[in-house]
Parts: sequence; structure tokens; C-alpha cells
Amino acid sequence: MDFFQEGFTQAVTLLVNRDPATYSAISATIRASSLAMAASLLLGIPFGYLLGYFDFRLKKFIRIVVNTLLSLPTVFIGLIIYALLTRNGPLGEAGLLFTITGIAIGQTILSLPIVIALTATAVETADRNLRITLMSLGANRFQIAKSTLWEVRLGILAAAVTATGRVLTEVGISLMVGGNIKWHTRTITTAIALETSKGEFGMGIALGLVLLLIAFTVNIFLAGLRRRA
Amino acid sequence: MDIYQIQDIDHFYGDKQVISIEDLAIAPASIVGLIGPNGSGKSTLLKLLCFLEEPTYGTILFKGQKKSLFSDGVRFSITLMTQEPYLMHRSVFDNVAYGLKIRGDTKDIRNRVREALDLVGLDPENFTRRKWYELSGGEAQRVALAARLVLKPEVLLLDEPTASVDADSARLIKKASLQAREEWGATLVVATHDWQWLYETCDSVLHLMHGKLFKGGLGCEVYGPWRLGQKNLLQKELKDGQLLVAPKPDEGKHMAVLDPSRLKITLPGKYPLLEWDVDTLNGFVTRLFLERNGNTVQTAIKVAELVITVRMARKRVEALRLHPGKEVTIAYDSRDIEWF
Repeated sequence: MDFFQEGFTQAVTLLVNRDPATYSAISATIRASSLAMAASLLLGIPFGYLLGYFDFRLKKFIRIVVNTLLSLPTVFIGLIIYALLTRNGPLGEAGLLFTITGIAIGQTILSLPIVIALTATAVETADRNLRITLMSLGANRFQIAKSTLWEVRLGILAAAVTATGRVLTEVGISLMVGGNIKWHTRTITTAIALETSKGEFGMGIALGLVLLLIAFTVNIFLAGLRRRA
Repeated sequence: MDIYQIQDIDHFYGDKQVISIEDLAIAPASIVGLIGPNGSGKSTLLKLLCFLEEPTYGTILFKGQKKSLFSDGVRFSITLMTQEPYLMHRSVFDNVAYGLKIRGDTKDIRNRVREALDLVGLDPENFTRRKWYELSGGEAQRVALAARLVLKPEVLLLDEPTASVDADSARLIKKASLQAREEWGATLVVATHDWQWLYETCDSVLHLMHGKLFKGGLGCEVYGPWRLGQKNLLQKELKDGQLLVAPKPDEGKHMAVLDPSRLKITLPGKYPLLEWDVDTLNGFVTRLFLERNGNTVQTAIKVAELVITVRMARKRVEALRLHPGKEVTIAYDSRDIEWF
């Protein structure tokens, strides 16, 4: 049980002494997850709006598909992306295997269904009078979309918080697509997996605490946004 | 030219017909009242007039032209305030300024918002910075009205604007709505249960009953149970034991409506003098209200659980010396009762 105490002390030491390997892993984690979150919000919010706002024939079916994708195992996404990006794969030419961008692509696939599903739910559950109010005040289609999304901003923020949590903490994609290359694609989660396999439990716990600290910082920022909203 | 011309519209929600109007014209700068029981189609008609919905069959012409929802002529000319208006999750200022901002019409926006708030009786100093959740129901309704008045719309459609607000807010809402016509000649269509207000202010009042215009005035609805009586007619026993007689309805119709324009009001004991074969009901006057024209009086008569409102000539009211509490006899022809 000394692991926890040792881990805590080590976490503080790593951060205070600016341990280069730890900071490299923090940097890789933040770069990959920021890219993935930017892409999934950019794609997911408009798609979620369309899915939540309009009624069309395949709507229920698409909702089921999106909800199913919420359960995608990260190792399965890792496998698919690996197969696509590997040198002999269909996208092998792009040279994205074992890169941060490669990890970000996999993490985007992981977080996109979360953003779509939660945005669609937020839009669907908006007050039924909102649409009529916006239309009767003279809004065009684009202005209706913009104003509706602004009205459900807390729901979208919740989608962002949930998706960020999932992306920051996944290990399957980072390991398979990133390859856990030191100084390059080693993220905090892959480093934890490595340290644990080496029997360095204290180091693993220290990195876990660092990851939690990052998540805490991100959530403080999002809570600030929520308060302003 | 009429601002609205409605020609043979039928509107359906699924299989259910909610509106059926053959012909209706609304003159510009007029105030039209819409009255009818819940579910009679008032809100749907307002949505059709706002082009938020397109009638299933038939056409609505706006200034002589067919229009669609997002055409500029409609978007920037017609505005609707729903029964429970939605305030956006922003400050009062941003709610009122929204319509102007999306039009790109932001010149002197601060003063225009202040004027609109003044018009609905809200002090701009106190209210512009308030959040949507810091308002009472009546204040929220007035902010919603200010958000529409600031646009100076050609047509202002109001769906029960005073239904769920306090008396003071209701008075201010009524005053501000009328100012829209006085100041810039807006056409107003107001759906409400407040018949006194309608007859005080409207140029014309439309009675809707099951989506159809009811020509006779403020129809009195009578629900069952009915039982078969003499001469193959149906009878409804009112709570005080009086019988109301009606013809048999067509299939699928279950609500009888007394057409007040066909009723004769007389004093008790006088009905045998009436020439026609009539049935009668006894009741007493509860309210008398002189219409804006000065010649017609809305007379509300309570008959057991029913309240029947009849438009009577002022001279007739004077001749009968009617006053609230006075007993009267209503003579009607059972064949005139309509079913919906």
C-alpha cells in the first residue's frame, strides 16, 4: 500500500523537477486530445444539430447507430485505424501511423459519437417554443441553427466535458496507433501501461495522478465557461 | 387591398382536420379578435397567418401574394407572440434586441430597445441588464411583447397574450398592443378568451369552433350526456332540472352549440306570446357589457351550468330593463342547435 504514498510523492517530484519524459508524455497527451476534441466538436455539433432538429425518415435508425458507436471499444478503433494507416493499408501513403495526428484521428472517432448524441439530445429537448420564437422574430435557417445551439450551450458543454474525459483517458488507440514511442507518441496512459508492466507501480500511480491533474485543470476551465454561459 | 385573403383552406394534423375556412379577408391596420374554446384552432390559425405552417389545402395570400415561411416579405413583416412565449437565455436587452440584430438593423439600437421596454411599462434602467430568470411571468410576457414591438411589424399576431398574467400586466399588454396600430398602423390579430377586451377594441371578432368560423357569435357549447326524448329529439337535463332539446347529430359529432344570434330573450311569463313553436330555458342575467359601437350590448345569461352570451340591441335591453340578477327566458328553436 506504500505505492500510493510513493506515487503521490513521485508525482510531485516529476512535476516540480520538470522531468523531461513526463513532460513529453503530457505534451503528447494534450496535443493528441486537443486535436481530437477540436475535430469532434467541429464535426459533431453541426451533425448533432441536424439529427436533433429535423425529422426525417432514417432519423431513428441513425440515432441507434450513433448510440451504438458510444460503446466502441478503444482497442477496436485502434485496430481499424492501424489497419487503415499501416504502410500497406489504404491510407498508408499518408504516413500517419505512429504519429500524434494518427492518435488524434482514432480519438476523434471515439469522441464524435458522444458529441453528436449529446448535442442531438440537447437540441431535441430544447423548449418547443424556441423554434417558433426564432422564426417569428425573423431568423433565417442559419440564424435559427446558431441561436438554437447557443440556447442549448450547457448541453453542448456537457458533451465536451464527457468527450474530453473519454479522450484523455483512453489507452487502446494511443497504444496501437501511436506505438508508445518515447519522446514522440508516448502519452500518459501508454506510459502508465508500460510502467505497470515493468513493475514500477509507484511511477504508474504518479503518472495517473498527473493525468487526473490535467483533467482537473480542463474541467476548471470548462466550469468557468459554464458559469459565464 | 386586404392584407390577408384566405381562400378555402383546410389544415390537417395527421388525419385530424384542425382548420376549415372557406373565405376570410383581413383589412390592413385592423384589429381582429379570435375567440373560441380551447382546441378550436385559434393557435393553429395564427401559425398559418404567420406562415410558420403551410395549409394542407388552399391558399393564404399576404398583400395579394402567396408567401412562404422564409421569404423576406414574411420574415420581416409578420411576428407572432405565442401563448407561452420563450425568452432566450440572455439578458432582457439581448432578448429585445435579437430581432433587430438578425436584421442587421442596429442603428440606435439602445434607444429603440429602451423605447420598446417603456411601451410595455418596464423601466429600462431596471430591466435591460436582468437575466431571463430574474423576471416574473407578467414581466417575461411583456419583454416578449417588447421584442416584437421593437421590430415595428406590419402584422402582430398575439396568442392569448393576457391568459396567464396579473391584471396590471394584462392592462399594459393591451395598451401596448393597441399602440402598435396607432403608431405605425399595424394589423393585429388577437386570440383570447377575454371577450370583453375583444368587443371593446376589435374591428371584427371571429368565432372559431372546431376549426370553423362560427357566424352566430359567442357560441355556447353543451356537452352530454344526452338521452332520447319526444319527437325523436335528444334531451340534455341541466343541473337545475331544465331540459335542453336538440336534433340528433351526424355521426362523429358530440358537442352541441347554441347559436346566440338565433335566441330570443324575453321576460318570464311572456314566452307564450311568441309566435313560433319554441322551447324555452329560464336563467338570469349575470353581466351586461356595451360594445364599442354603443348600440349593442353583450348580455351574459346563466342557465343552470351554462353561460349564454347574446348580443342584444341596446334599445331592447332598455325596454326589458335588464340588469345583472334579472330573471329572463330564452326562447330557442331546437332545430337551430348545431353539432360539432
